Amino acid sequence: MNLFRRFAFRRRAEELQEELESHLRMAAADRVVRGESEPSARQAALREFGNVPLVQDITHDSWEWPWLERLLQDFRYTLRQMTRSPGFAATVIGILGLGIAAAAAMFTVVDHELLQPMPYRDPGRLVTIREGSGKDANWGAPWMDIQQWMERSRSFRQIAFSTEMGKQEYLEQTAAAVHVSGQEVTSNLFGMLGVHPILGRAFLPEKPGSATGRNAGTLVLSYAVWQAAFDGSRSVVGRVISVNTTPYTIIGVMPPGFRYPLNPVATREGQVWTALRLGPDDWKNAPYGPQYQVIARLQDSATLRSARSEMAAIQKRVAEGYTDPYARKTLDALTLQRYASFLVNDDLRRALLSLLLSAAVLWLIASLNVMNLLLARGTARQREIAMRGALGASRGRLLQQMIVEGLILSVSAAILGASVAFAAVRLLGHELHQQLPLPAPAAPNLLILLVLLGLTVLSTMLAALWPALFAVRTPIEAALRQDGAQTGSSRRHHRLREVLVTTEIAMSLPLLVACGLLLQTIYALRRVPLGYRTDHIIVANLNVPSFRFAGKDLPQTLYMPLLERVQHLHGVLDAGLINEVPLGHTFNITLGLRLNGKIIHAMLTPVTPGIQRVFRFRMLAGRFFNEQDSPTSQAVVVVNPAFVREYAPDKHNPASVIGTAMWQLHQGQPLHIIGVLDNERQESIADSSQPEVDLCLCQIVPGTMAYPVVTSFMDLAIRTSRPPAQMIPELRDIFGQASAEMRDASITTMGQIVEDSYGSQRLAAHLLEIFGGAALLLCVAGLYGLLGYVVAERTHEVGVRIALGARRGHVLWLVMRDAGAMLLAGTVSGAGMAVASVRLVRGFLYGVSAQNEWTLVCAAVLLIVSGLGAAYLPARTAANINPMEALRIE
Amino acid sequence: MIGRHPYRNRVEVLQGTLDMLILKTLQWGPQHGYGIVQALRANSGEMLQVETGSLYPALHRLERQGWVRSEWKQTESKQRARYYRITAAGKKQLAYDLNRWEQLVATIGSIIRSRPGEGEV
Repeated sequence: MNLFRRFAFRRRAEELQEELESHLRMAAADRVVRGESEPSARQAALREFGNVPLVQDITHDSWEWPWLERLLQDFRYTLRQMTRSPGFAATVIGILGLGIAAAAAMFTVVDHELLQPMPYRDPGRLVTIREGSGKDANWGAPWMDIQQWMERSRSFRQIAFSTEMGKQEYLEQTAAAVHVSGQEVTSNLFGMLGVHPILGRAFLPEKPGSATGRNAGTLVLSYAVWQAAFDGSRSVVGRVISVNTTPYTIIGVMPPGFRYPLNPVATREGQVWTALRLGPDDWKNAPYGPQYQVIARLQDSATLRSARSEMAAIQKRVAEGYTDPYARKTLDALTLQRYASFLVNDDLRRALLSLLLSAAVLWLIASLNVMNLLLARGTARQREIAMRGALGASRGRLLQQMIVEGLILSVSAAILGASVAFAAVRLLGHELHQQLPLPAPAAPNLLILLVLLGLTVLSTMLAALWPALFAVRTPIEAALRQDGAQTGSSRRHHRLREVLVTTEIAMSLPLLVACGLLLQTIYALRRVPLGYRTDHIIVANLNVPSFRFAGKDLPQTLYMPLLERVQHLHGVLDAGLINEVPLGHTFNITLGLRLNGKIIHAMLTPVTPGIQRVFRFRMLAGRFFNEQDSPTSQAVVVVNPAFVREYAPDKHNPASVIGTAMWQLHQGQPLHIIGVLDNERQESIADSSQPEVDLCLCQIVPGTMAYPVVTSFMDLAIRTSRPPAQMIPELRDIFGQASAEMRDASITTMGQIVEDSYGSQRLAAHLLEIFGGAALLLCVAGLYGLLGYVVAERTHEVGVRIALGARRGHVLWLVMRDAGAMLLAGTVSGAGMAVASVRLVRGFLYGVSAQNEWTLVCAAVLLIVSGLGAAYLPARTAANINPMEALRIE
Repeated sequence: MIGRHPYRNRVEVLQGTLDMLILKTLQWGPQHGYGIVQALRANSGEMLQVETGSLYPALHRLERQGWVRSEWKQTESKQRARYYRITAAGKKQLAYDLNRWEQLVATIGSIIRSRPGEGEV
């Protein structure tokens, strides 16, 4: 409403008043002329005229926009009321706003990760198939097995598969090549996903394994790569570019948002796809040959269950085809799951759902609390409403007034909630980045926000309208005499508010229990001995453009000179290379070692001798690598106790393995175990050590087994005496001189890496601290508000009691008894809910069981004690009532 | 009980005809509200007392319809008053209203004067 219109309304009202005034004056003047005295003439004129305000009102109604003007009046009235009791308005808006924000932010994240459609057509019908089951399931399957699936299965419309192109791909386009993530895919993949290029074409149809070569040397770009490396030029189709020095012809560009496979690496970097070419290794019927990630689309007639049973039968026969007994045993089952559930594992799903539930509960508590506040105020305003009714306000008008009030409160809360939700999603997104396969959303989901806002407005309106509906049915006289409080409907009103507070208490308990469990988890995680030092360590993840060093000895031409230069930097105490620092999650190599007829999976870790001094790894037996270990000296390895347990004849004596020779690095050059490292936390703080085999990087020369894999990823770890911020630019200079692409290496500190590894637990703990704390606060506020109101209402009664000789202690007990009953009822029903619901956070917990009675008891005690504390204030007020004053109020 | 108490118009019979009477009065020249009341009373031989509660809403309604226009002027006794003047559209409306009124009176009159059986075959 603009100022002009408001001004126009007021002026018109003033003119009307003046007009009626002039009427009266003229009527009086006429009477004076006829000989009446002036005062009596005025009196008579007024009598003749009738009810001036009524005439004013009726005339008013004949104007345009009467409803709008009334709405404005209500609006101004509400604003005046809000400024008179700003605390009330701020409380309502704040509580509701926070409830909306928490729920909207969590809903957005969960919706994004769990429910968001993937960038494919009908993604619910896409499944992945992997050989093996449970924890031992492979990453995919070898070609010979996939071929049998294709021939025998009837459940799938199509089966496609893919593998990574190499380890690191660089598009040679500009001076510093662009780092991309490349996939070799079967020609039917894009068609099966139902996504077509926006520019150019996809691969030509080609049977996998039939080497027609129609797609040889062709490349499809993702939208991100097209934009980044080619500025979105439409003439890019047909251009020839090099990926790691191999020339490819660009044939198409995929639409924005399309990614395959969906994983964090692929979303961080741009992707390119080439047609998959099977090699000679693929045609050997060996269980441990090249593996491919398999994705298939279910037939319309097939279900997940029917596909599973069909494939289980097929896989049995596939496994029987293996001559290797271990493979026959482990590969006779397979894992078939929806592509969506493969991406978000069950732990993460449960965790997100539990956080979502917590946020929803918080929203409910907030809504209940606001309803309670509004009800209390509505009761307190019965007199005001009755007064307005007595002065002639119609029922409709009173309802309209209440609606306007409810709207102003809830819409303000909605605006606050929406803006906090935006901020929260941004904050959450930053934290969640470590945990989630899809990029975190940048803004809350609009639909969710709207639904929440709608619900909030509805609930507030209900609470705001209640007193008005209630008031229009109450006799005015009774309300004005203020004995309305004694009527039956008021008692019902009061009972409703008690139920609301009890419900709040019951719902807060599970939040507090979950919060307690997560705090214990964080505490337990921080006390896990890591097995290495984490202070004063800088870690750089070198993005090694290995194609630039093709045909060269990578350790000798790149790593060793680089390490040498870094060691001479001012402030560097020790420096070392390792393919992946502990908890680094960059790139780890798993080695399948065949021992005593079974396969042991061990982490293969190439390191330089300096790494032990950087991390202060402890040795249980033997020695670590040193500078005397060289390409020409005896090939040596260091292992860890987890490996010893699997490998050594004497599982409990690490020293027993020292000096034994195991598998060969070169033909005829066995590796000797020279030392045993103490256990360390490798992949996650919550998991104990896995078998590990460390190699000395300088002994790995071209031609050694696994040379390309072992040398192409490297982390540099430095123990420094200077702050990291000073060191980083100098490090970047050294990297840049070695190769332009390495200047952008990601550099962090070991402390940060450890902190990030707490990721989901820390995030969940923080969120639950907020949710639990807010819930507790709301409960306390709700209880305090209700009892404060009750005491104010019963002032007269209490005054009479005291006057008749009731002791103060008795009055105190009277109020505390009410509070105790609500707290007890709330806690008991809350305990049931807590026991049922904390199972959801089980996936997050470490070092503490979900069925931890102590946590439950502590949370209950905290809730009851804070509740009684909140109740004590109104109770003391009641006990201190002066009977004389209380009775005089009447 | 708080309920609806709509204002009951005390000149109900004249509802609809009040507009016509006002317009007719204004045909003789601009007039203020008090003047209109006085003129109607004088012209009806003191029979018709127009309630202010009907007059002012009617005047404001007529102004909204564009049949009258108002302005503040001095009266002969140097009082400031709001004068209403009939517009061209108002005159047209008056002619239409008068025509309908006469038809109505004639119709009602013929019904009143008729004897049973005479009007119908």
